[in-house]
Amino acid sequence: MSLLELRGVSRSYGEGSASVNALQEVSLSVDEGAMVAVMGPSGSGKSTLLSIAGTLEEPTSGEVRVGGQPVSAMSRGAKARLRRRTIGYVFQDFNLLPGLTAAENVALPLELDGTSGRKARLAALRTLERFGLGERASHYPDTMSGGERQRVAIARAMVGERKLVLADEPSGALDSVNGEAVMRLLHDACKKAGMGAVVVTHDAQLASWADRVVFLRDGHVTDQTAPPKDPQSLLTPEAET
Amino acid sequence: MSTPVLERPGSAADRVGGGGVPARRAVIRWALRMLRREWRQQVLILALITAAVGATVVASTVATDTPAPIAGVLGTASDAASLSGPSAKVNSEIAKIQGLYGKTDVIENESVPVPGTVNTFYLRAQNPHGPFGGPMLSLISGKYPATAGQVAVTSGVATDFHLSAGSTWTVAGKARKVTGIVQNPESLLDEFALVLPGQVTNPSSVTVLFDSRQSAASIQKATGLTVTTAQAVANTNPINPETISIAAAVLGMLLIALVGVGGFTVLAQRRLRAIGMLAAQGATERHIRLVVRANGLATGVVGAVAGFALGFLAWLAYRPHAETSAHHLMGVFQMPWTVIVISMALAVVAAYFAASRPAKAIARVPVTQALSGRPPEPKKTRHLAIPIGIGFGVAAFLLLGAAGAGIGGDGGGGSMGPLVLGFVVLAVAIVLLAPACLSVVAAAGRRSPISVRLALRDLARYRARSGPALAAIALSTLIAVIICVASAARFSNDLDYAGPNLASSQLAVWTPAGPYAGMAEASKDVPASGNPKGSGPKGGGPDGQVQSGPPPVSTAQAHRVADKIAAALGTSPASMLTLESTSATLIRAAPGRNWSGPIFVATPQLLNAFGIKQSQINPDADILTMRPGMSTMSLMKLAYGRPTTSPPSGYASCPTVSCVANPPIQEIGQLPSGTSAPNTVITERAISTLHLQNSVTTSGWLITLPKDLTTAQIAKARQLAAGAPGMSVETRNSIPSLAQIIDVATIFGILLALSILGMSVGLVRSEAARDLRTLTATGAAPRTRRTITAATAGALAFTGAVIGIAGGYLAAIGFFRSNSLDGLSSLSAIPVSNLLAIGVGMPLAAVVIGWLIAGRDPANVSRQPLE
Amino acid sequence: MSVRHAMLALLSEGPKYGLRLREEFEARTGDVWPLNVGQVYTTLQRLERDGLVATVPEGDRGNDGGDDGAHKAYHLTDDGSSELARWLRTPPDLSSPPRDELVMKVLVAMRVPGTDVREVIQAHRRYLVELMQQWTRIREDDASDLSMSLAVDAELFRLDSVVRWLDAAEARIARAGAPGSTDHPDQARAPLPRHRREARTPR
Repeated sequence: MSLLELRGVSRSYGEGSASVNALQEVSLSVDEGAMVAVMGPSGSGKSTLLSIAGTLEEPTSGEVRVGGQPVSAMSRGAKARLRRRTIGYVFQDFNLLPGLTAAENVALPLELDGTSGRKARLAALRTLERFGLGERASHYPDTMSGGERQRVAIARAMVGERKLVLADEPSGALDSVNGEAVMRLLHDACKKAGMGAVVVTHDAQLASWADRVVFLRDGHVTDQTAPPKDPQSLLTPEAET
Repeated sequence: MSTPVLERPGSAADRVGGGGVPARRAVIRWALRMLRREWRQQVLILALITAAVGATVVASTVATDTPAPIAGVLGTASDAASLSGPSAKVNSEIAKIQGLYGKTDVIENESVPVPGTVNTFYLRAQNPHGPFGGPMLSLISGKYPATAGQVAVTSGVATDFHLSAGSTWTVAGKARKVTGIVQNPESLLDEFALVLPGQVTNPSSVTVLFDSRQSAASIQKATGLTVTTAQAVANTNPINPETISIAAAVLGMLLIALVGVGGFTVLAQRRLRAIGMLAAQGATERHIRLVVRANGLATGVVGAVAGFALGFLAWLAYRPHAETSAHHLMGVFQMPWTVIVISMALAVVAAYFAASRPAKAIARVPVTQALSGRPPEPKKTRHLAIPIGIGFGVAAFLLLGAAGAGIGGDGGGGSMGPLVLGFVVLAVAIVLLAPACLSVVAAAGRRSPISVRLALRDLARYRARSGPALAAIALSTLIAVIICVASAARFSNDLDYAGPNLASSQLAVWTPAGPYAGMAEASKDVPASGNPKGSGPKGGGPDGQVQSGPPPVSTAQAHRVADKIAAALGTSPASMLTLESTSATLIRAAPGRNWSGPIFVATPQLLNAFGIKQSQINPDADILTMRPGMSTMSLMKLAYGRPTTSPPSGYASCPTVSCVANPPIQEIGQLPSGTSAPNTVITERAISTLHLQNSVTTSGWLITLPKDLTTAQIAKARQLAAGAPGMSVETRNSIPSLAQIIDVATIFGILLALSILGMSVGLVRSEAARDLRTLTATGAAPRTRRTITAATAGALAFTGAVIGIAGGYLAAIGFFRSNSLDGLSSLSAIPVSNLLAIGVGMPLAAVVIGWLIAGRDPANVSRQPLE
Repeated sequence: MSVRHAMLALLSEGPKYGLRLREEFEARTGDVWPLNVGQVYTTLQRLERDGLVATVPEGDRGNDGGDDGAHKAYHLTDDGSSELARWLRTPPDLSSPPRDELVMKVLVAMRVPGTDVREVIQAHRRYLVELMQQWTRIREDDASDLSMSLAVDAELFRLDSVVRWLDAAEARIARAGAPGSTDHPDQARAPLPRHRREARTPR
């Protein structure tokens, strides 16, 4: 089943002659366990695509379905619930709440959803443990490194029963090793936990973690990669010349 | 803007990094450009300053222009003497004054009845071009009289006699030609016909204006005359409106400065990147401070000027109403310029200091951090702030104690110094301690739901802006609490309480033996009882300077006048309630505030008038009163002023032989509550037991109309009473009741706190806009965002109210602890409902408003805000 | 990558049999460079001829016997040690331009009428990204193998640099206002690549 489906989604900003088409007739579908990367130069509409997929913005036209449910029919409250329970959002600049500790940041969506403070904290600690951040749980964001902060942000996006992770340049502010660690976390979430992920990036190395790379230019989907071949073909003796 | 004002001579090191005047000029130019381009970000602070300055301008102008001006009594002279009696005596006295002090201006008045009415007017001989009387005359149309056969009249007289310029009018036995319409601009109620000096043949009073520049006592010594001096008139009102206006302006600007600190902090942080860029280009810390301070200064200047403009326009619009209600003209530019200039200067200073603290903080941010737009780490509460704050609190307590000991002693006045200083120190203590309270609140909310916890945590983290806001809220509630608590303590006294003297439909006519016997008889406005010093308006109108008049009228004459007044008011003389008094007075001789006052006799007519049946009255009661609590009050004495060797059997003796201790008092709610009305009466049984029959005199009559009295009716009654020396008329004064005082104070405090709160919450939450985007993306429903804003507002309001109430009681306990008039026990009168309104109602209102205004979806959730 | 120097490096740890040398080589390069047995023997024979390695005498060899190369054990000579040390510190030749073929294709595409250069670029980009996906797939299961991670990193960075060049080329062409090919012959004859080549010839 498609976790996320965008059909003919367009988004324009402004009115009349000043209007800008950020997205035009974009269709995209993400299945369970699939990791999709959206690549494109800056200004190609990547972030708009992610905002619309994350129900943070309304498309001008077209349909968005999350878990088979059309988003346009939902109330604001229902959309917020969707973001608490189904969709996790990861920003480039981490966007942790500075007033909350790592554990509290991770527990945030659960607590917002009404889970009791203690339970939410336990779940948050478990998730942080899984991400190797167990002993940083009671640290505030401003005492952590960039890589740690982004891992906390990803933990926040995955805590609970989340099905879909949307990441906007998740390792844009990190060095390549930390970036790889972040992508590995996202990849594992898809392969092992059966989540779906959409990663927006302009970095081919990060995009190469995805099962499918969608190329976006000027608001259009221009191309996408074929299903990946068996990597063993790279290791045949013929490769060495 | 002048640079030198901003810059102190810097150290040598500073100058090395400086760049001199050109650099500073460039930096200031940039700051001004920022102000112009991004004025929207400053609109909150700007609006605050504008509103405060505007309000100060209007309020101080109205307050200083409303009281009857001295010029209405004295013109431009410094002294006035009122003379009466045979013309030879008057003339010799005038000659004496002229001999001693030079120029005089003589105004002769003859009271003339308007035929067929109860109205009178004055035939007034005055030189329109006299040396001192100028301000008391102005021409509406036509000309002043130039010959003996000419007269100018006020519009009231013209209406009564159907006169207009050119008509001929016979007045005081002589036909005169009307030349124009005049008025006394300082008293529009003054009705008269103006003739040339020497034309009034039988003056009832003569006023001599002269300029001695000497004290009343020395003039009296030299001339044997009682005079009114400008000094004396000014002294009757020691707390003049200008003083109050300046005090209010200082307080208002302190609040602005506090709110402004938060505002400028937010502003500086929003511009952090730009400031980082500036620093990266080589601007010194000094320059960066200058940018923020110049911005603050410019905001202050713009706000002050805009506020003045706004206030001036409001004054222009309000002036006609003010003139009508104050009964005298007010010039367009007749404004308290000192107050206005001071308040504008204060606004600029407040804005400058509000910008100063963020300026220092922002200048210390490392450049790289500034460039990345990361605000400086929130600082921990300065460790010294708490002990210093507590120290200031203790100092305030002691100072107020000193003030309490000084004020109300036998000396009467006492210095206001410790009181003012005590409040200033208390305000400083609150400013220092408020931020620490936020940590306590955040800690207390540790177990609360996430959205509340987040709001409280943010308040504690961003103390730079929430701390001053909390202090401002606490100060505004403090004012309300102090007024409530102090008024309750002072006026809840069952004996000596504040309240209206009479109902609006009541009018009391007092005989010369009435309760105001011995006070300035001719004074039209009778001071209120209840306040031993008499805070009621004094001095009266243009004829208020009569100091020594003819002998007072007899009771029988007074009765006839009262009958006339009743008739003039359209009611039958029979319906008047005769108020009789005896020599008995009720006294509370306890340590602390004493009270004594006349008590009226509970005649059958009086009891009947208030619907009290004989059967209701306890046969043993000596005193009937409406004052709750009086029946159980200890240390009461009924002094009956007739020396006897021992009290009648059945009474215990009290220290002075002519009184009885603890007379039986019965509370009867039907008696009127007005302070001048018969709220406490002595029963006829007591009069006969104590043999007071001979001391019963008629002190006045109470006339109750079915409707409220009109201004015209009051004026008529006063005119009639003015014709009878020693008589006076009393109508409802503007003394507010205790409930009114504390309700107004409560509402004022709550509104002030809420408006400060609105701005502060706007500031605090605007900074958290980025967090709000994160929250939205994390799945926070609109409800969560509403909860956060509501919790922020509620926490600030509640904490502020708690600090305000605590501070108010600290001040009150400090003051009353050592006050000899009202001891600590007077604080047992707790204005519960008002404190509840402040402590519970105001936070609830804040929560509701916060809930309502929040909840809008943040725009462009995934995007960075454009700097 | 020189198999010759890799053998020297492996032998620097101690004497080894030919078969084991092959296994270790493949393991250490993260299976990225597969090697057949023939290559190992030829290389070893050449090293022995140059005096950089020597066979271990029979007596020391234990009892596994056999006389073919696979069962001979080799050890490093002193010359071999110094050759290894020299090689480790000699920078490889990076001066020759990589991927000339792709550069030429893009340049040519600008001149061929009716060709959308962006589409050509995208085709190459897609291919490169697919290749990168394959490389990433290799290491996704096992992050603990350091040598393999480094080797895969090398491939990924190399491919990534080409993708970046394509991105830059696309942006540059777009800015030059030549979305098609033949509309702007002046732009198409841009002399920049030629200069680059000329600049490199003297080396």
